[in-house]
Amino acid sequence: MEFLLQQTVNGLTLGSVYALLALGYSMVYGVLKFLNFAHGEVYMFGAFAGYGVLTVLGGPTGLLVPVWLALTLMFVGAMVVSSGVGLALERFAYRPLRSASRLAPLISAIGASFFLQAAALLLFSANSRSYDAPTLIPIANGLTIGPINVWAVRVLVIVTAVVLMVLLTWWVRSSRAGKAVRAVSFDTEAAAMMGVDVDRVIVVTFLIGSALAGVGGVMVGLVFGRIFHFMGFIAGLKAFTAAVVGGIGSIPGAMLGGLLIGFAEAYTTAYISSTFQNLIVFGLLIAFLLIRPSGFLGRPELVKV
Amino acid sequence: MLALALVVAACGDDTGGDTTTTAGVTTTEGETDTTAGETTTTGAEAMACEATIGVMGPFTGEVAFIGEVQLNWFNYALDTWNEEMGYDFQMVEADTQFDVAQSATLAQQLLDNPDVLGVVGPAGSDQVDAAGAVFEAGDPDLTVISPSSTRSGITAQYTGLFRTVPTDDDQGPTTADFMVEQGAQSVFIVDDQSSYSTGLADTTQDNLETADVTVTRESVSQDVTDFSALVGTIPDDTDFVYLPWQVAANGQIFANQMAEQGKEAVIFGSDGMDSDDFTQAGSYIAAFAPDIAAIEGSVSILEGYLEQYENTSTFGPPVWAAARVIFEAIDRVCQAGETPDRANVQAEVRNTDQTTSILGSPISFTEDGDLVEGTFFIFQIQEDGSKTLVQ
Amino acid sequence: MSNIGVDSWVAESAERDERYTGWAGPARRLLDRVPSGWKLLVFLAVAAVYPLLVPQAGVRIGITALLLAMLAIGLNTVVGWAGLLDLGYIAFYGFGAYFYAMVSSDQLSVHWPTWVSIPVVVAASALLGALLSLPSRRLVGDYLAIMTLFFAQVFLEVIVNFERLPGVDIDLTGGPNGIIGVEPWQLFGFSLNTFNRNFYLLLLLLGLLIAVLRNIDESRTGRAWRALREDTLAAAHMTTPVNRLKMLAFAVGAAIAGLTGTILGPVQVGVFPNNFQLLFLITIYAALILGGLGSIPGAVLGAVAVAFTPEILRNPGTAGWLFYVALAVLLVSLLRKRAMVASVFVGLAVFGYALRFTLLAIWDESILGAANDTFLSRLLDSWLLILGPAQDLASNYAFVLAVGGMLGVIVAKGWWRVALLVPTVYLAVFVWENKLALQPSVTRQLLFGGVLVVMMAVRPQGMLGTRRVEIT
Repeated sequence: MEFLLQQTVNGLTLGSVYALLALGYSMVYGVLKFLNFAHGEVYMFGAFAGYGVLTVLGGPTGLLVPVWLALTLMFVGAMVVSSGVGLALERFAYRPLRSASRLAPLISAIGASFFLQAAALLLFSANSRSYDAPTLIPIANGLTIGPINVWAVRVLVIVTAVVLMVLLTWWVRSSRAGKAVRAVSFDTEAAAMMGVDVDRVIVVTFLIGSALAGVGGVMVGLVFGRIFHFMGFIAGLKAFTAAVVGGIGSIPGAMLGGLLIGFAEAYTTAYISSTFQNLIVFGLLIAFLLIRPSGFLGRPELVKV
Repeated sequence: MLALALVVAACGDDTGGDTTTTAGVTTTEGETDTTAGETTTTGAEAMACEATIGVMGPFTGEVAFIGEVQLNWFNYALDTWNEEMGYDFQMVEADTQFDVAQSATLAQQLLDNPDVLGVVGPAGSDQVDAAGAVFEAGDPDLTVISPSSTRSGITAQYTGLFRTVPTDDDQGPTTADFMVEQGAQSVFIVDDQSSYSTGLADTTQDNLETADVTVTRESVSQDVTDFSALVGTIPDDTDFVYLPWQVAANGQIFANQMAEQGKEAVIFGSDGMDSDDFTQAGSYIAAFAPDIAAIEGSVSILEGYLEQYENTSTFGPPVWAAARVIFEAIDRVCQAGETPDRANVQAEVRNTDQTTSILGSPISFTEDGDLVEGTFFIFQIQEDGSKTLVQ
Repeated sequence: MSNIGVDSWVAESAERDERYTGWAGPARRLLDRVPSGWKLLVFLAVAAVYPLLVPQAGVRIGITALLLAMLAIGLNTVVGWAGLLDLGYIAFYGFGAYFYAMVSSDQLSVHWPTWVSIPVVVAASALLGALLSLPSRRLVGDYLAIMTLFFAQVFLEVIVNFERLPGVDIDLTGGPNGIIGVEPWQLFGFSLNTFNRNFYLLLLLLGLLIAVLRNIDESRTGRAWRALREDTLAAAHMTTPVNRLKMLAFAVGAAIAGLTGTILGPVQVGVFPNNFQLLFLITIYAALILGGLGSIPGAVLGAVAVAFTPEILRNPGTAGWLFYVALAVLLVSLLRKRAMVASVFVGLAVFGYALRFTLLAIWDESILGAANDTFLSRLLDSWLLILGPAQDLASNYAFVLAVGGMLGVIVAKGWWRVALLVPTVYLAVFVWENKLALQPSVTRQLLFGGVLVVMMAVRPQGMLGTRRVEIT
C-alpha cells in the first residue's frame, strides 16, 4: 500500500509537469495546426530564468527574501522570459510560414530549437545548474499522507499545476478571449470572418502556452534539480507525446495525456522494469493509438470532400 | 562546386588552406601568443620544433559538460607548455558531439592533416572504437591518447591507442572489494545504458556475486530525469546503491529522491560521478586519481587553471597528463636532433617514464597502451562537500 | 496568357518563359529543356571526379553526403510523393545496418556472401516497411507521425537492451557497444574496403535509384501517389487502392533505407546505436525540406548542403569569412537604397571608434585583449573592442542584445532600420570576435539553426521545390 501510494505521488508529480508542457503544444496546435518543436527550448529558458532570479535573490543558501516570495518571483521571472522567447518564435519563425506547406514550419521550429540550444550553451556553458531545492525547503518538510511523507516541493508542484489548469479551463470557457481561442482552433476562416483578430489570438495562445512552459521549467528545477541546455529536447518529446495521446488540440486532453504518461512511467518502472520503461510506455501508447486513433479526447477529424 | 572549393580549403593540407586554428591565442589575458622572443632553452632545437596536436571530444551536445572541461584543460596545458618551453605548438579542435559517425569522420580529417602528430581523445569508448578503426587503417603510427575511455581491452585492439586512466578491469574489483569489506550483503546496481556504465556495472556485479552478495540490477536511460519510481523499488535492506553513471548531476537527483523516500542505503559512485555536481554526504566515490588539490605538485597547476576557467571536474587532469605525454615526447625527439613525425613521436611516447604526474602517480605505458600504475582511489564525501580518502 | 488552342508543348514553353524572369531566366529555361537523364549523368560525372581532388577526409564527407542523399530520396518517396509523415524512418536505416552487420561480422560468426545478404536485407526492410504501414490504415496525419516516432524509439530501445529482454540468451546486437568489425561488400571478387570504392558504389547506387524512382514517378503508381497525397478521400472514391499504395510507399522507402544501412557498416567498420538517434532523422528531414520536398534533385542537393555545411563551418577561418560575407549580404538585402547601406557603414565606423574611445577613456588599455589570429580579426582589431577580462560577461549581454536588435531590425522600416542596424551589426561583430569565433563547435550549431530558420522564412518550398498551398 505504501509502495503504491508512493508511486502514485511520483506519477502525479511527473504527470503535472508533462501536462503543463503538453498544454503549450496542444494550444498552439489548436490554433495553428502545427507542432511547435521549439517548445522544449522555451521551457528550458524558463528554468534558467528561474535560476537567474534565485541567484539574484542570494541563492539557495543566502536568500534575501522569504522563501515563498522567492518562489513566486522565480515563477514570474520564468513566465516572463518564456513568454518572450515564445513570442519571438511566433513572430519571426512561424508567422512568415502561415501559408506554406505543413513541413516548412516544422523545419523552422527545428532550426529555432538548434539555435536556442546553442545560445543556451554559449550563455550558460555546458554545466548543469541546480536550484538546490533541499536547501530551500528541507526534505523533511512535507505532508504526511498515511504511511508516506510527501515533500513540500512536490505538493507545491502538484497544487500549482492543478490551479493553473483550472484557471486555464475557466478562462477558455468563460472569457471572451478564451472564446476567441476556441473559435480560431475550431475554424480559423470562419472566426476571421466573424471579426476575430486571428493574429492577436495566436499571439495570446503562444503567450499562455509559453508561460505555462516556463512555470513547468521552474517546477522541474525544484523537484528534480538539474537544469542544462539540452533538457528541453528530451522533455519536449515526452510532452509532445502526451499532447497527442490526449488528443492534440484539446486542452483537457493535454492535461489528461500528461497525467497518463506520468503515471505510466511511474507504474511501469515500479512494477515491471526500469530498463524497459520507455519501451513499455511507448508500446502501450502505440497500442492505445491503434484503438483510438484521434487520442483520448481528440475530435475525430472531419474531412470535407 | 563552391562547396567543393570550400571543403578543399577547409580540410586541405597540401592545397594550402588555413586549416589549423591557433588556440594558443584564445586566452583572454594580456599574455598572448608565445612570440619568437623566447627561443631560449637549449641550442639543440634552434631549428623550429613544430607540431600540431588534435583534441577530440564532445564539445557540444548532450554531454558538453565533459567535453568543455576537457577542451579547457587541453588549451591550458598547451598554453602553459608553449610558454614554459618557448615552443609554438598548435592545436586542432574536433568536436565529436559524442557521436560515433562524426568521430570516424574527424579521425580521418586528423589523419589527413600531416602536421598532426598526436591526438588527445576521444572521450567515450564508442567514439574510441569508431575513430580507432579509422586510425588503425590509416596510420597506426599516430599516437592517440584517450583521457577518459575506460572500457577494458580497447587499447589492445588499436596500435597507436593509449590512455591516461585506469580501466574498468581495475575499477570493478576495487569497488566490489571495498563494499564487501564494509560488510555489504545486498547491493542495488543501476546502470545508465551507456557502454561505459554497463561494462562497469557488469564487472562489479560479477565480483560481488562471487563474494556471495545479493545484487539487484536495474537500468535507466540517460534521458530519464525522474528516478522516484525506481527509488521506490529499492529494497529496504539494501546496503549500497552502486551508480556507475556518466552524469553526476543525475546522481544527485537520485540521492535527493532516496532521501525523500527514506531509503537509507549508501550510494557508491564510479569515477564519472566524481564531480562538483554530486555532493551527497556520506556517499563514496571511486576516482582514478587522488584529489589533485591534495597533491603538492599539482596544486599550482590547478590554481593556474582555475584562474582562467571557472570550473573543473574529474575529466580534466587526465587530459593534462595525456597532453604532456605527447608534448614531452615531441620535445625528446627534437632534443635528439630529429624532425618530429608520427613514428618517432609514438616511439618516444612508449618510452614515457614520468616519475610523477598531475595525477600523483608515475606514468608509463604497457605494451598495449594502458597505464602501468593505474589504480582507483575511494573517497567519502563529507558534510561540507569535501572528499576524504578512504582507500 | 492565352494558351488556349495551342498544343501542350507550346503552352509549356510559353509558361516557362513567363516563369523564369530576370537575369537567370535564359539559363534556367535552357536547363529545363535538357532531359533529366542527361542532367543525372552530368551530376554523376562531376561527382565521380570529386574523390580524385580531395584528401581522404573529404571523401569521407562525400560518403556521408551520399548516404544522406540516398536516405533523403527514400524519405522523399514516403513523405514527398505519398504524403505520409513518417518520423520513424531512421528505424529502417538501423534495421538494414544491423541486419547486415549481424550476417557479416564476428558477432554471430555468420558470414553470408554479399550477393545473398544484400537482397535479403533489402527484402526484409521492405517487409518491415509494409508492416509499419498497417497502422496507417487507421491513423492519419500527425497521429501516424507519432506512431512512427514511437516505433523508432522502440527499435532503438530494443537494440540497446536486447540482451536484457526476458528469455534472451544471445547477444544479437552488441547492446550499447554496437557491432564492430563489419565486413565490406564483396562483388565480383572485388572487396569494397576503401573509402574511394565505397564512394563509387554509393554513387552508382544513387544513380540507379534516381533512375528507377523517376520512372516510378512518371508511371501510374507515381500519379496514384500524387492523388493520395493531395486528397486521400477523393482518391479513394476514384477507386485508387489507397491502402496498397501506402504500403508500397512505405516498403519502397524502407527498402532504400535498408540498402543504405548495409553500406554504413562497412564504411564505419561498425554500427552503433548512436548512429540512429532522433537527431539524425531530423538531419534527413532538414536535407529533404531544404532541398525541396517532392523533388529528387532537391533531395540530393539538400543532402549535399546539409552534409558539407557543418564541415565547412568547423574551420574558424572559413567560418569567419562566411559570417562576414553573410552579414554583408544581409545588409544589402535588408536596405533598399544605396544611401542607406553607405550610411550604415559610416555609422558603424563612427559608432565603433566612439565607443572604443569612450571606454578606453574611462578604463584604459587593461580592458583590451588580443585579436584572434584570423586575417579579418586582425584587420578589425583597431576598430573593434576585443576585451580581455570581463570578455565573457560582456559577450553574453552583447549576444542577447544583438539577437534582440536583429529581431527589431526585421520589424523596423526605412531609416529606423538604418538606425537600429548600426548598433546591432556592431554588437554582432563584437560577439563574433569575442565569443563565437573562440567556440567553433557551438557556433556551428548556432549558425546551422539560424540558417534553417532564415531559409524557411525566405523560401519555404526549399531550393528546388514548388510552392504548395495547403487547402484544408
